[in-house]
Amino acid sequence: MDFFSFVEGPLLWIAFLTFIIGSLLKAALFLSLSIKKDKIIFKHFRWKYVLATFARWLLPINKDVAKNPVFTISGYVFHICLLAVPIFFSGHISLWEESRFEWTWASMPDGLADWMTLIFLAICLFFLLRRIISADIRLISTFSDYFLLVIIALPFLTGYFLTHSTLDNIAFFSENMQLIHMLSAELMLILIPFTKFSHFILFFFSRGATGIEFGRRDYSM
Amino acid sequence: MTEQVDPRKVMDFLKPKMGARFKTWLNICAHCGLCANTCHYYNTSNKDPKMIPSYKVRFLKDILKKKGNVDGEYLKRVYDTVYHECNMCRRCTMYCPFGIDIAMMIALLRALLFSQGMAPEGLLKPIENYKESGNQMAVTKEDWVDTIEWCEEEMAEEMLGLKIPIDKKGAKIMYTVNAREPMFYPQDIMEVAKIFHLAGEDWTVPSEKGWDDTNLAMFCGDGKTARMIVENTFKRADELEVRQIAITE
Repeated sequence: MDFFSFVEGPLLWIAFLTFIIGSLLKAALFLSLSIKKDKIIFKHFRWKYVLATFARWLLPINKDVAKNPVFTISGYVFHICLLAVPIFFSGHISLWEESRFEWTWASMPDGLADWMTLIFLAICLFFLLRRIISADIRLISTFSDYFLLVIIALPFLTGYFLTHSTLDNIAFFSENMQLIHMLSAELMLILIPFTKFSHFILFFFSRGATGIEFGRRDYSM
Repeated sequence: MTEQVDPRKVMDFLKPKMGARFKTWLNICAHCGLCANTCHYYNTSNKDPKMIPSYKVRFLKDILKKKGNVDGEYLKRVYDTVYHECNMCRRCTMYCPFGIDIAMMIALLRALLFSQGMAPEGLLKPIENYKESGNQMAVTKEDWVDTIEWCEEEMAEEMLGLKIPIDKKGAKIMYTVNAREPMFYPQDIMEVAKIFHLAGEDWTVPSEKGWDDTNLAMFCGDGKTARMIVENTFKRADELEVRQIAITE
């Protein structure tokens, strides 16, 4: 098996399984530890607080929208692009269709995927500059904050290069862009359970717990 | 010379307290900075980045990473932050997308400092008082009852028939005060008595421990004493068979 076959086969499996199993384990760890040490959450558990707080923070109907509109709206757009492009890009769907799963679903127009990719990359750049320029954000930024921003941007950047043959006049890139694209995405998937990326699932636990804690006191949640 | 800190003592305190929420918060904080301008310390210090709530709790992650290997000098820095740069108002949490409860982490750090013998003088003295007398000002039972009776007498002319019922079993409301009131501001007790009287409420004050509703032990993370203070009040309420406990303003 050559390297390319490894990356498009076994490594893809490893990446997806690490992502899925790792995230589920993280969630299970939270649950088992919280049952022992955060009894107060379960004692006051109410679905109405949990669902209300999820709705308020998954949709732009929370306090941050008015207080920091530019950053908050960028954050929402960032996350929408992050989820929508990889899932609904036609090129990806046809790969799923060719795979052993033979799954298929509606795709988004390629033009839209292009725009969303560019917007996503622009927001990544905005986040990066914000971290570097703002004295506030610079102070609280750690190495991993910069590193993960690059990690999340790479699959989108290389995906754009791949679909538009942007760097094809350089032989190395014209031969390997697909490989680089897959590797960058696999690296991102593998890192999810072990880094702050795990907030994609832990958000629900943390947000829910605080929703209960604040909701029962009638605080804003 | 910096004081020695026993890392084992630090970890023995912290480890059992690290619940799922603390661990998660330390891991998922995206360092986005949305909490910055929600903090009144930040907003009133010329937007000093050091006042960003997310930055203030860096100590917790750091101490865990160092496995408790810190010195007295380090703990003094923690002390300055958790006592002088945060009053645990929880406003930042209301703006945190993840709902990270900074105040809870500050409270944990204060409790850690208390476990290492560090707390403000102004809290340590009252804690001794709570333990001895049940109230922060070390008011004796005799003085407390005397003050209540004196308040009642003082108002007898002004408001006919006004009573401050002491230990009235089966009353609807048990009223509790700040121990500073019998010491320095008895007029506050009189004002409240007037309101209860005019409203025709069925109320009482307990003569025994539990009438002080302040809980200064809570502020430095002395959970044991904090618990004792609350339990005193509930014990009195049970004994007097009241339906509600009212606390002073």
